[in-house]
Amino acid sequence: MEAKEQVKTTAVKGTDMARKVRGLVKNIYKSAHEAKAEGKKVAYFMVASQYDEIIRAMDVVPLPTENYAGLCAAKRDMDRFLLKAEADGYSQVLCSYARIGLGFDSLRKELGGIPEGAPDGGMPVPDMMLGSSAVCDPRFKWYQAAGRYLQVPTYSIDVVAPPVYADLNAVRDYYIKYQKEQMQGLISFLEAQTGRKMDKERLWETIRLSDKAWQLWYEIDRLRVAIPSPMPTQDHFSIMVAGHYYSGTQVAVDFYQGLYDEVKYKAENSIGVIPDEKYRILYGGGLPPWHTLWIFNYFESFGAVFVIENVYRGYDPVEVPSHVKDPVEYLAWRAYLRFTQRHEKARANSGNPIVERLLGMIKDYKIDGVVFHACRSCRATTVGQVHLKNLLGQYTDIPMMQLVSDMVDLRDYSEAQWKAQIGAFIEALAGRSA
Amino acid sequence: MPFAGIDIGSTMTKVVIVDRKETILASVIGPTGVEHRHLALKVMDEAIGQCGLTFEALDFIVATGYGRINVPFADKQITEITCHARGIRAIFPTVRIIIDIGGQDSKGIKLDTGGKVANFVMNDKCAAGTGRFLEVIAETLGVKLADMGKISLAAREYVKISNTCTVFAEHEVTSRLAEGATIPEIVAGLHESIAGRVVNMVRHLGIEKDVVVTGGGAKNIGLVKAMEGKIGFPVLVPPEPFLTGALGAALLGKGFFDRGMIRDHERRLESVTFFK
Amino acid sequence: MTAFSQLDAFYQERGKHARELHDSGKKVIGYFCCFVPDEIITAFDMVPYRIQGSQSEPIDQADAFIEPMACPFARSCFNLALKGKYDFLDGFVAPHSCDTVERMYHIWRHNKPAPFNHFINVPHMMGPSSDEFYRKELAYFIKSLEEWSGRKLDTGKLKDAVRLYNRRRAVLRELYELRKPDPPLVSGTEITKVLVAGMGIPAANHIELVKQFIKEVKERPQPKAQKLPRIFIWGNEIDDIAFIRLVEESGAHVVMDDLCTGTRFFWDDVPQTDDPLDGIASRYIQTHCPRSNVPQAQTRKKDLENRYGYINRFVKEWGVDGVIFYIVRYCDTCELEGPDLREYLNEMKLPVLMIEDDYSTSTIGQLRTRVQAFLEMITT
Repeated sequence: MEAKEQVKTTAVKGTDMARKVRGLVKNIYKSAHEAKAEGKKVAYFMVASQYDEIIRAMDVVPLPTENYAGLCAAKRDMDRFLLKAEADGYSQVLCSYARIGLGFDSLRKELGGIPEGAPDGGMPVPDMMLGSSAVCDPRFKWYQAAGRYLQVPTYSIDVVAPPVYADLNAVRDYYIKYQKEQMQGLISFLEAQTGRKMDKERLWETIRLSDKAWQLWYEIDRLRVAIPSPMPTQDHFSIMVAGHYYSGTQVAVDFYQGLYDEVKYKAENSIGVIPDEKYRILYGGGLPPWHTLWIFNYFESFGAVFVIENVYRGYDPVEVPSHVKDPVEYLAWRAYLRFTQRHEKARANSGNPIVERLLGMIKDYKIDGVVFHACRSCRATTVGQVHLKNLLGQYTDIPMMQLVSDMVDLRDYSEAQWKAQIGAFIEALAGRSA
Repeated sequence: MPFAGIDIGSTMTKVVIVDRKETILASVIGPTGVEHRHLALKVMDEAIGQCGLTFEALDFIVATGYGRINVPFADKQITEITCHARGIRAIFPTVRIIIDIGGQDSKGIKLDTGGKVANFVMNDKCAAGTGRFLEVIAETLGVKLADMGKISLAAREYVKISNTCTVFAEHEVTSRLAEGATIPEIVAGLHESIAGRVVNMVRHLGIEKDVVVTGGGAKNIGLVKAMEGKIGFPVLVPPEPFLTGALGAALLGKGFFDRGMIRDHERRLESVTFFK
Repeated sequence: MTAFSQLDAFYQERGKHARELHDSGKKVIGYFCCFVPDEIITAFDMVPYRIQGSQSEPIDQADAFIEPMACPFARSCFNLALKGKYDFLDGFVAPHSCDTVERMYHIWRHNKPAPFNHFINVPHMMGPSSDEFYRKELAYFIKSLEEWSGRKLDTGKLKDAVRLYNRRRAVLRELYELRKPDPPLVSGTEITKVLVAGMGIPAANHIELVKQFIKEVKERPQPKAQKLPRIFIWGNEIDDIAFIRLVEESGAHVVMDDLCTGTRFFWDDVPQTDDPLDGIASRYIQTHCPRSNVPQAQTRKKDLENRYGYINRFVKEWGVDGVIFYIVRYCDTCELEGPDLREYLNEMKLPVLMIEDDYSTSTIGQLRTRVQAFLEMITT
């Protein structure tokens, strides 16, 4: 029996540049297939792991498995991969990005080729898998587990950050040293895989491009303080592709330049996302509901626009000391500075660097309410949201709410439940502005 | 030399008595009853009466099912996994995979070439994938559970039900009805949903022929067809899906007796108790 | 009073003795997991207390502070803290075991701070640079303890502590030898009580009690031979006898384990090095745990052997017939590790039952059928 046609669930974007991202995403997978055909190296890799520039500088083509999972969810073609992983013995509460990735690898192995109709042509078999411990544990365990389906060289790096109460003067040197050594280890691995030595000048070049792109990205987000909002959160989840998956390339710089021009124009001419912006919402945390990004438009139907977000975010620009002359050391310093950029502020205030960032956003972006998304299968971005709400509540009394589903697994999402919660939230916002 | 198997489920108790030659002498299905646990004993009595025997004449009694732990009149208690495997093997000797969709849980059992249980999977933590799921939604739709199979066959297309949480699924069904979906399309969608979950759980064992579907779910023609669609080939269904556990228990009892197995304890013809 | 009844009392009334020590003026330092060296705490004349949860108490207060989709063991521990059960702790130390413990440390510290609080970052990767980083983190931990206590660490005392804990490891290994015969001389239920009792009392006491218990075991009449299946348990935190007892009551002997409340924390000795911190760091960083990434070996076969070879030895020497994975729900590292370990064990012709549970005795009943069916399956 055939299934009845389903409704579209992707979001309507606010900016033209965001609409161009579909092409950028398609290109990621197209490039990977082309690279394989040309005999170039392709690597599974994890986003936000502080090693993009190293991979790019070695001419290895990165294949972002987490992004692929999000893509499958947006196209509502994730079930077969989730189910395959579960049939292979992976728990239903395990990170759903990992379940989709493992399920895809499993099906590809079983079928002897890309599963039919896989979104954007699917992922080719990589030449290597590069994990990291940044952000969460599945991001290095996943590729180790994938060894079941793919016997390819696998290497993971540690990404470390001092806890907020550490005495930074006492620990800085050895944190940076370790980070540098971890990155050096990756370089040695890639040299062995590609048969080439790392060109330090090339590495500096990719770092400069990456820093330039992220600087532009930061400035775009500063423009978004404008009222009405010139670029909403659903656009962020598209335009982040440049900064996270094209980091170290001219493509990312050009894209953000184009986006900057568009957002600047809109900000200066008071062109908002919707004609009647009533409430400005902060997306406080949690991976986005890739399966139903249209929910942002649903909020907009009540006049509520998500003006800024704190997930898949870039870091505020940091200033690596000028005495650092080696590019790998630069990367280690940069990572350290990024992770500790709000430590001092936190120690003097709330004790939590994320809270400091959110408080800054609430103030700068004139936020009326905060929405968190708790994902049942994502410990990393979900565990601690209640704590953030509790802490924030000590500094502000704006309404906050936590919506629960999963980032890609539809089985945890209830539209009826969400609409009821959103309705109550809008009423709370309306009550305050009255 | 008769042997008895009693399968005490949460809603129904089933008893099967077989003789030396493994011929069925009596079989009874009765309610377990939540408050009246002694009804299990009544079912036992009825079966004994049906074949004109006495309790003492029974050479070995094996209890299985949810209530198997405290059965004073049983000689041994064995899980329903092992019992279903034994019972279905007697009916379909070529069976390799058994899928049992019960009211409160669902199971997959794999047998090796010798007919022994080689592996199994269970879902007993959540209603989705069980008869309970269908029961709840049937009530929402205002149809009889027993008619669900027939109703679903009238649909040409099915409406996808994404939620596996029974409560969320209820909401989803209501929304779909409001959008204009018909009841047959929704029921077909529910069957697809259950079949998908159950077959996926069983895939873990490696599906091979022959596949037998048993339990209450086996009586739902729409569900069985949906499962065949997912599996990719036809399945076998026993004539009396509810009795395969008790049958297996009785046959296992014969096996134990023949091997001189010692009884777990002195048996007494008394009420079953669920709690110590 | 037998040694076992004393150990049982410590198992039942957790924290009672530690509270008494705290009241008498000793500093009690609570910690999680296998990556916080007891030796360091002991060398400062403080009492290490391994924090446990309670499988029989519902988690009724934690939801206001931490999400339900997180490790129920961690949530249970925190729940006890919220109820004041850990008010006797002078120090609260957590290592970077995993995502949930890391997040929970900050939530716990914010809501129920102890006088001394410290987070030890533990590398996820393994290798020379990771060894050095971990050693530096331990040195920093020592420095923090020095600042708080106003005392410098005495290297001689640290060496003494290494010897003390190695004696405890040896006596626990000796106890585990008693599980080798068929039937084993001591049950899995008893072992769990002995190990958990040791988590809340000073090591010297524990060593004496375990030695005495070993004598008592050897003096008891030999248990009747029953030819029951011999089970190995793999997983994380089991600090309650409920599950082990269920397995044994269903007709099996639990003879060996790889649990963080079992062999994982005590099996290997700390090498005695000139600078004791070297030996301590090298031993603790090598703890076999899914949260630590073993660098990939050349082939899949070698890789699995590299990661699980130590289990091979346990299984052979303790004559194991079947393995049960007892994984606490939401444990991402175990859930990603499990299928690989199962593949390795299946290659050795060992059947595996993988159980995912909620760290609560209320769900034990549902496990009964699975466990019993598994035992029926592996018995010819």
